[in-house]
Amino acid sequence: MKRVAVVVAIVGGLAALFLFGLLRGAPDRNVPSNLLNRPVPNFELPVYERYLAEFGPRLDLADHAGRPMVINFWASWCGPCYAEAPHLEAAQRRYGDEVLFIGIQTQERDARAAGRAFIERFDFTFPNVIDDDSRVSIAYGLFGVPETFFVRADGTLAYKHVGPVDAEVLTERVEALLR
Amino acid sequence: MSRLVRSLRLAAVAGILLGSAFAQDIVLDSRVFDIGNELRCPTCVAESVGESNAAIAREMRQIIQEQLDEGRTRAEILGYFQERYGDWILLSPPRRGVLLIVWLLPVAAVLVAGGGLFVLVRRWRAAADEVAPVAGEDLARVRAALAGDDPAGAISAEPAPPAPRP
Repeated sequence: MKRVAVVVAIVGGLAALFLFGLLRGAPDRNVPSNLLNRPVPNFELPVYERYLAEFGPRLDLADHAGRPMVINFWASWCGPCYAEAPHLEAAQRRYGDEVLFIGIQTQERDARAAGRAFIERFDFTFPNVIDDDSRVSIAYGLFGVPETFFVRADGTLAYKHVGPVDAEVLTERVEALLR
Repeated sequence: MSRLVRSLRLAAVAGILLGSAFAQDIVLDSRVFDIGNELRCPTCVAESVGESNAAIAREMRQIIQEQLDEGRTRAEILGYFQERYGDWILLSPPRRGVLLIVWLLPVAAVLVAGGGLFVLVRRWRAAADEVAPVAGEDLARVRAALAGDDPAGAISAEPAPPAPRP
């Protein structure tokens, strides 16, 4: 009787472990950023033609020091990036005078035409730059796209959002930057 | 003839130079993959930077190559990625803090299992060494059988035939 109980306990335990593995889904990518409360890395990247008049051929983050920023990483092949894009543009129109929004196309090489189409589709009025070799995404410790970094006026990272941002997240986090 | 010798010499020198250049690449590349195998690919599932063909993994390998060329050590290169991604990027968790549990737990499990097995084996051996109590009458019959004197015919060298089925 005792032996049966031991066998049932072992088999039951293994079955529970197996079920847990099946049901837990994809691994969680929402790892806290190692840059949190530290200065974000500087970058200087080429700008899409649409923003040349205002920002010149290359955007140097250091030129905008002292301003809170929202830095969004996207790619033209990324479905969730399309979902969040209208919210980013709406937030830019609402807070653009106080906060600098920057879009960074990353994790795709030589995809200018696709990038241009993405920008035109959502009529992005904030500057979008090209991280062709994904070096900036590595410097920011990116796990995938989209990811959005909310940077304080002193250049330190206040919050990193993994996955598509919505209006609620943008309002809450941008308001926090402005407080 | 002298032109042929000169051409052969040139070809030999070119071959040596090319060979040494490629040999250096192979040495550096193997180090790149060695270090890459210690790093987790950020955009893949369960793949290392050394194994993955994702764009970001290829770029990370390129960074490792550049840093090796600059003379950085393995620890410095791992530290470069760790600074950006945290401990998450390391496939082998560092032996400190809470992560120490990951290293100590298997050792503890082996020790506990070994201890348990030792106790069980001792119990089994003790049980085997124990002499089962035998009734005096049974003992007498066994002794008689061994001595070749089996008055009751209870112990026979031949097994008893099976009982007929009803």
